[in-house]
Amino acid sequence: MIRHFMHTYLPFASNELKRNLAYKGAFYLFIVCDLMEVFISYYLWMAIYQSSGKGTLGGLSKNEMVVYVIMVFITSTIIMQSISRTVSRDVVKGNIAMTLIKPVDYRISLISGQVGNLIYHFIVPSLFVWIFLEVYKVTVLGEPLVSPGRAALYLISICLSFLIYVLFDFCFGMVAFFTTYIFGLSMAKEVLLSFLTGRLIPISFFPEAFRKVFEYLPFESMVYSPVMIYLGKYSVRETLFVIGRQAAWVIILYLLGSFIWKKVTNRLIVLGG
Amino acid sequence: MKRIKRYLRLYRVLVSQFIKTIMQSKVDFFIGLLGFFMTQAAGIAFLYLVFEQIPDLHGWSFSQLLFIYGFAQIPRGIDHLFTDNIWLVAWWMVIDGDFDRYLLRPMNLFFQVISEKLQPDALGELLVGTILICVSASNGILTIDAVHILLFLVSVIAGAFIYTSIKLFFSTIAFWVKSSGPFLQVAYNMAEFAKYPTEIYGKAIRFLITWVIPFGFVAYLPAGYFIGQHSALSTIGVECVIAVVFFVIAYRFFIYGSKCYESAGN
Repeated sequence: MIRHFMHTYLPFASNELKRNLAYKGAFYLFIVCDLMEVFISYYLWMAIYQSSGKGTLGGLSKNEMVVYVIMVFITSTIIMQSISRTVSRDVVKGNIAMTLIKPVDYRISLISGQVGNLIYHFIVPSLFVWIFLEVYKVTVLGEPLVSPGRAALYLISICLSFLIYVLFDFCFGMVAFFTTYIFGLSMAKEVLLSFLTGRLIPISFFPEAFRKVFEYLPFESMVYSPVMIYLGKYSVRETLFVIGRQAAWVIILYLLGSFIWKKVTNRLIVLGG
Repeated sequence: MKRIKRYLRLYRVLVSQFIKTIMQSKVDFFIGLLGFFMTQAAGIAFLYLVFEQIPDLHGWSFSQLLFIYGFAQIPRGIDHLFTDNIWLVAWWMVIDGDFDRYLLRPMNLFFQVISEKLQPDALGELLVGTILICVSASNGILTIDAVHILLFLVSVIAGAFIYTSIKLFFSTIAFWVKSSGPFLQVAYNMAEFAKYPTEIYGKAIRFLITWVIPFGFVAYLPAGYFIGQHSALSTIGVECVIAVVFFVIAYRFFIYGSKCYESAGN
């Protein structure tokens, strides 16, 4: 059963990995773009801490904020592998009809492909940036290395984050059945995510009422939770709760995706394709 | 004179054609508007949350930063509205061989590229920019008189030219490498630095965004004049010089590049 599953879906992952290795130039330039964002946040936060005159803001010290900014970059680079673009292209071009007659699960094949991307992004640039961060922490900031236990919990947590993200993105991709201009919507999605996942600003900066609402949304579990685990902001019990919540979101979003997919494909009409 | 008239007439015709396509897909129009509007709104919300924690940032108050933020959106929006087609040149037109058709018409190349398309999404940026500037004006942090309003218009246009020059320059690289989208993306994203006061960055970055990719002159430096911190000559004067120099360089480079264009496909 499992062997059959691997045999079917592993090629999707390895294909994506090979494709990444083939088109390297653009990929590196996009990393430069993302790193620029890290630079901006870094300098901005340094200026903010300097101007505040306080040691901690939103529960994070200046050093912790450096780690936060870089870990947010690493986490989102690894987990945010968009499948909605592929979904919308398949819908607009009518390729979706082909996926309906093939004996593979469309969603799982897409996710498998993104696992290939995830592996690639984990190595380049994330692993290098991560090593840099730890060296920087010890030599410049004078903080201890992250404990192996915590790093392991972080890795478990981001695996779940990845699943939450792609399952959510699959549901989002379904809007392609209703509008063809996915560019504008993707942009709105990106913004919403950067806000609600804690990418732009730690969730702890939000007013209490907002945070209460965020606790019932899946977004916090994508980026904020694993980074907070990495920073050691949770007790053992809280960590288990947070990871359990992530797992719950994986299940909920999986079921939601199946439900929408069924609804949508029932009314699907493809011309040509 | 006759030539200018001809081009103006052509532009009107092309734009009216384009507006018809917008009317055709109103939902897309609103979605695009929403996307860009939300991006800007998120940036403002971020500033708001940060200023809950601090009284000022390197001596800049919340309302001053809002003004810089809004002021930065106007030239960006103008450029985005009129010259969005440059992106397509960078990404696809050269590699797909679509650029051929521009070379076949007896019209200025640059004119053809920019008149192909208006980008209504830009209205999202212009809307946010205008709202923020109105808010700033009512806050009383701006000096408002005839000279300032005039220089405001000059600065906005010069800023839009700086944006266009940078886009044109990096899309021209496509004539040699076939698709220069990623290069352009990196250069364009540098504008993100200019949303905040440049003094918060390290020396190298400051130099880069002031003199190499001069987005610092699009928003932050001229904003200093309107807030009443610097003289007009040292901000808007320099901005205009930079806009002219960069545009001439980019334009020449573009024309030179188009001569090196080799069509692809069949």
